[in-house]
Amino acid sequence: MTPLQFEQQYESDWQELERGLTQLRTGDRKELAAVAGGQFAALYRRVCEHLALARARSYPAYLTERLDRLTGDAHQVIYQRKEFGLVRLKDLVAREIPQAVRAHAVYVWIATAVFVLPTIVIGLLVYFRPELILSVVDPATAAQFEEMYSDDADSIGRLRTADTDWMMFGFYIRHNIGLAFQCFAGGLLFGVGSLFFLAFNGAFFGALAGFLTERGLSSTFYSFVVTHAAFELTAIVLAGAAGLRIGHSLLAPGRATRMQSLVAAAREAIVIVYGATGMLLIAAAVEAFWSSAQWIPHVVKYSVAAVCWIAVIGYLSLQGRRAR
Amino acid sequence: MAGEVLDTGVSTETPEGILIELRPAGLTPRLYAFLIDQFIRLCILMAIGTVATFMEGVGMGLYLIIAFLLEWFYPVLFELSRWGTTPGKRALKLKVVMDTGLPITPAASFTRNLLRVVDFLPLLYGFAAISMLTRSDFKRLGDIAAATLVVYQPQPSSKITLESIAPLAPAMALSPRDQAAIIALAARASRLTADRMDELAAIAAPVSGDAGRSGPEVTRRVLAVAQWLLGRR
Repeated sequence: MTPLQFEQQYESDWQELERGLTQLRTGDRKELAAVAGGQFAALYRRVCEHLALARARSYPAYLTERLDRLTGDAHQVIYQRKEFGLVRLKDLVAREIPQAVRAHAVYVWIATAVFVLPTIVIGLLVYFRPELILSVVDPATAAQFEEMYSDDADSIGRLRTADTDWMMFGFYIRHNIGLAFQCFAGGLLFGVGSLFFLAFNGAFFGALAGFLTERGLSSTFYSFVVTHAAFELTAIVLAGAAGLRIGHSLLAPGRATRMQSLVAAAREAIVIVYGATGMLLIAAAVEAFWSSAQWIPHVVKYSVAAVCWIAVIGYLSLQGRRAR
Repeated sequence: MAGEVLDTGVSTETPEGILIELRPAGLTPRLYAFLIDQFIRLCILMAIGTVATFMEGVGMGLYLIIAFLLEWFYPVLFELSRWGTTPGKRALKLKVVMDTGLPITPAASFTRNLLRVVDFLPLLYGFAAISMLTRSDFKRLGDIAAATLVVYQPQPSSKITLESIAPLAPAMALSPRDQAAIIALAARASRLTADRMDELAAIAAPVSGDAGRSGPEVTRRVLAVAQWLLGRR
């Protein structure tokens, strides 16, 4: 059979597949099953055969290239994985995220230790020797922090306008989520980056807490941070744990190659990062609109904070345990 | 068969047993694409910034949120859209796909774009450049972890249009590879200068029984053989 005869004989099949593809591409989200008389997959397989024949018979380039493109496009459509939508999101929140966190409990505990230990050590150091705060931030920033959490009218959240709340919401989203993403990405440097960012952020937080406590501003400060910390600190630790998972996969790939091990680890770790991202969005909203509201009595704030902490820990340790 | 061809192409096999050829894109086109995207981001940010200054706090918050989204999720958004590629990559006809040639999954898009931070280190995408330059599939670190490839989008090739020449039976038996070479030569005829075409046709001259000769007449006869091979009689 010559190329031209081949082309003539099967042209109708190819045109139909082409029509189906354009229909899928331009049509308003038509379902695969409705295209090409419900025969899309069969048609695709047939054209794959034609391509194999054309290649085996060394048919001219324009013909094989056309079939190449046709089957390539159809392949993309047929094997498309639908990971979008609310069903997938519900699955993630209801099962996959907490399950992934529990599956990586060791990493989470290590990340927690790497974050918390510097917090405590630096916090105590700064509390007993306040001048040490200057080795973490410059004097102007230290003064600014002190002013922010002081009890006078300009302090944080005191009768703050809705405008400022929105501005801070944007700021927290950009700053905090970026920070968590760094904790995760740093894992690619054999885990060192994650360890560094976790310890650094822990130390910074500790220094701030120690400094403000020593200044006698603890009531403003703790009532401010305690609620969103449930989401924010957890999220940073989780992002760091995901990074450690990636770093560990590179250091100890086991029986896979380093590359294979990395790909597998990243696929698992990214689920934890989804969780961390969600938590940071909640944290930013809480921090901007709730934590800063000074008119709320401290008792209420601490109660809500307790509920939040219990909710977060409960979610991560209990949610999605029962088999479906 | 001939020895291994020096090529950066990657081929993956589908369940139907056909091979899909992917052509990974190197550092330079990806750099251009990145610069275009960067410019677009800058324009959006400046436009939002201008509007935001009139809106006080809310505008500032909006600006910061959009800056955050542009910084981290601009590529994710476009890679998961129907285009499947950012405007910059689209302009250079590039596309991000999985190693298997399939469309990129949300998880992979997320992964490769979050790990961009590490590719940026130590400065100006240093690690990304080193990684791309040392690998034959030009992956940056984020691509390695996410199992993705940046490839050229396939372009349609021109169809052979030489209707005016009368077909001519070849003077010798031709293997499928030889046939393919003659037909490929005919397909390129319109894009080559006449002199170059004569030179190339002289190499293929034995197929029309003109071994050792060259010139426009030989070229015409070789093209006529190509017509015959295409099935015209």
